[in-house]
Amino acid sequence: MCTAVYNSDIPEIIRKSVNRASRSACMSLIFLAALLGGSLLSRAADWNPAEQQLARKIVAATGPGAVLVTFENRSSLGRRDSDAVKNGIRSALEQLGIRFVKAEQAAATVTISLSENPTAYVWVAQVRQGATDSTVTMVSVPRSGRSTVARDSMPISLRKTLLWSQDEPFLDLAILEENGTPTHIAVLNAEAVNLYRNQGGKWQQEQAAEISHVRPWPLDLRGRLIPGKDHVLDVYLPGVTCHSGAAGAPVTLNCRETEDPWPIAFALNSPVFPSAGSTDRPSAGGPSAAAFFAPTRNFFTGVLTPAVGKFSTVPKFYSAAFVPRDKYTLWIFAGTDGRVHMVDGMTDQASKFEWGSDMATVKTSCGAGWQVLASTAGVQPQDAVRAYEFPDRDPAGVSAAVEFPGAISALWTESRGDSAAAIVRNRETGSYEAYRLDLACSQ
Amino acid sequence: MRHIVSIWLAVSSLLLGALIANAETRPQYGGTLHVTMHAAPLSLDPADTAVPDTFAQRSLASLLFDTLVTVDDSGHIKAALAESWQAARGNQRWTFRIRHGVKFHDGAPLTAEVAAASLRFANPSWNVSAEGDTVLIDSDAASPELPGEIALAHNAILKRDADNKVDGTGPFHVLDWQPAKRLTLAANEDCWRGRPFLDAIEIEMGKSFHDQMTALELGKAELVEVAPEQTHRFSQDGRRLASSAPLELMALVFAREVSSADEKMLREALRWSIDRGSIRNVLLQGAGQSTAGLLPSWVSGYGFVFPTEADLSKARQLRGQARTAPAWTVGYDSNDPVARLVVERITLNARDAGLTLQPSSLSASDLRLVRIPLASSDAGIALADIVDRTGLPAMKTRGGSAEDLYSTEQSLLAAERVIPLFQLPASYAASSNLRNWAVRLDGSWGLADASLENAKP
Repeated sequence: MCTAVYNSDIPEIIRKSVNRASRSACMSLIFLAALLGGSLLSRAADWNPAEQQLARKIVAATGPGAVLVTFENRSSLGRRDSDAVKNGIRSALEQLGIRFVKAEQAAATVTISLSENPTAYVWVAQVRQGATDSTVTMVSVPRSGRSTVARDSMPISLRKTLLWSQDEPFLDLAILEENGTPTHIAVLNAEAVNLYRNQGGKWQQEQAAEISHVRPWPLDLRGRLIPGKDHVLDVYLPGVTCHSGAAGAPVTLNCRETEDPWPIAFALNSPVFPSAGSTDRPSAGGPSAAAFFAPTRNFFTGVLTPAVGKFSTVPKFYSAAFVPRDKYTLWIFAGTDGRVHMVDGMTDQASKFEWGSDMATVKTSCGAGWQVLASTAGVQPQDAVRAYEFPDRDPAGVSAAVEFPGAISALWTESRGDSAAAIVRNRETGSYEAYRLDLACSQ
Repeated sequence: MRHIVSIWLAVSSLLLGALIANAETRPQYGGTLHVTMHAAPLSLDPADTAVPDTFAQRSLASLLFDTLVTVDDSGHIKAALAESWQAARGNQRWTFRIRHGVKFHDGAPLTAEVAAASLRFANPSWNVSAEGDTVLIDSDAASPELPGEIALAHNAILKRDADNKVDGTGPFHVLDWQPAKRLTLAANEDCWRGRPFLDAIEIEMGKSFHDQMTALELGKAELVEVAPEQTHRFSQDGRRLASSAPLELMALVFAREVSSADEKMLREALRWSIDRGSIRNVLLQGAGQSTAGLLPSWVSGYGFVFPTEADLSKARQLRGQARTAPAWTVGYDSNDPVARLVVERITLNARDAGLTLQPSSLSASDLRLVRIPLASSDAGIALADIVDRTGLPAMKTRGGSAEDLYSTEQSLLAAERVIPLFQLPASYAASSNLRNWAVRLDGSWGLADASLENAKP
């Protein structure tokens, strides 16, 4: 039910929604399971018909009687599944009159190989009777959908909580309402914002608001959802900005081709974000710092509004974070040149940290009160995020690194300011997942 | 297949290190990628029957052209130039709806008419028509595998002008083309999938594997090919290497069908005499897999049931049953450095069984050592392609269950026209600053999303 037979989504970034109702149901289950802290269980396959079929084919070759049966697992089936299949085939053979004996007592030997090909498990039986050539018979079992495996979060101060998972790529997720747990969310993909509401413990797709755009999206598409104060949300995509109507009504997106800057620091539900270049402590209010995003690329151009002190332009960057000081705000930019630029309004100090391209600021009651979450650089296939503080200009790690099951494609501060959302492509399952990252001081 | 392929990709990844896995920093726009290849194609047209289907040709096609649908690494059909597709009339009619807003490199819009004309050119026997924004393909028999076939590079959608000059919709367009020597590509700024990260790609053709390695070491190329027999040594040197799953069949193919019972026994004797294990260990340096089936096991699921071990006594017995044994000439590609060695070793194996083979680099020979890249990860399509290329009797059906395919393959092998030897991977080496590239399922490089570290965005 979770996959369409035809109209498969296109690869890469630009994907069309398909069969939203059924997908919604699937995602609701995933979400619910995630929120309940349960692991996402792999689907139990029903091997029985294939086991019976192979057993019948084997017995058609050997006839009932004494047979030596051996098994070999050449497939990706795990031990538990392969053992289940072996037992099922043995049981089916027994029911058809096969007696399992040792080699010296066997009238025939049967080697059963659990193999596979791109579309199916292939169980092959090679039957040998006497000195004649072996007879080969087999059955195919179509592969079920991929299983999903949840990973335990690490018991450290930086915690990750799975918020959402779906097969199709998405760029950002915003929680519009929550009451202990999220009850109303928006998920941004390349072509639409999908709104989901939790009703009676089940997530239902409430609405899909299409995003109109003329130009093809750039590769490594990035986008951001920002909940509004007097309207539901704003959407920022390269060269396109969309604003929704007022809360309460069905959401319609008014999109236009524009190079308007994207907020890189804002305050909404809590007064945590400072104005760029401000010498004051953070204040509440609307977007307080913004940067222009290259409309055909995956980075910010470096032009800031308002300026950070004397810097109205900084080197091109992928992401930004900040650390308020007593008399100034230290801005931190992950530059496209591979360096981290620290801008205090007077100087731009570039350093090489072992950081990736994504970072976000969170305001907490832990430590110095402000932490920068940064993805790690390296050659490992999985990305990780670690929390840092900046006693001076050098980052000091204040949490252990939290690993993710794949590459992080987005890391944004959530609107409430004390947490961040990371979007990850799970390398094991291929699904796309959103995690909330927050700090627990007590641990 | 995700798991099967992932085994091979995992092996590759161990060697590849940062090349593919470096996902923690965003890809950078800009830069020119330098690539070398052994092949020296005279045409860029993937439907040009005069151009052999090679991994290199597929790689070039993937940069310049798109197909209506593609096959992902899990073997699933995905939309490309077609937004959707649907079968009707018991899989005898397929309808592909063309994606809106796609433009060729010259700015002309992609239409169903152009797509239909392109498919007709590549497949003169197909009944292809355009209707509105859809392409219709009708056939007399059910063709459940058609989307998989549409995904082949051969069926890329091109626009041909009166001079048969081709234009595509792919991520790069041609800036300069010197056939068989050099190809320079520039990013397609309006690519429907998004502008590629790289600004340009320069491809040097007709380079020996040795020259390619030198180019990589000197920093003159960021991506080069590696011969299968060199992969072991290459990885031992701690270099960065990526290999595909085994997907190139190396086989001996007889020029004609068996004409007598004696000849059948002699061919069978030759088959049993070949010590694949030694050839693979010594000449191929452990690369690939020995095979006695036409399809690799990861595609068929049953390839292992065909025994690959030599049986010299059986070979001698069969040789003894034949009244006479003519000397067979064995052709090979003189440009393939390992082919001659393999043929010479097979000649020695055959001699042990009482058979006489004479290696020959001439094109006319009694049998020939060939390499056939796997056409598709769809077993039915791949087997049909091998049948087509080796001159075996045409298959009655392409689809069916694994058991049906096994039965077909078994009967094809029983004709003693082809002696499968090895399934070889496609291998590449790259410099450390090339990111987000991969060896695709068809053995080509996937460079559409590649980027160069430290490129100037």
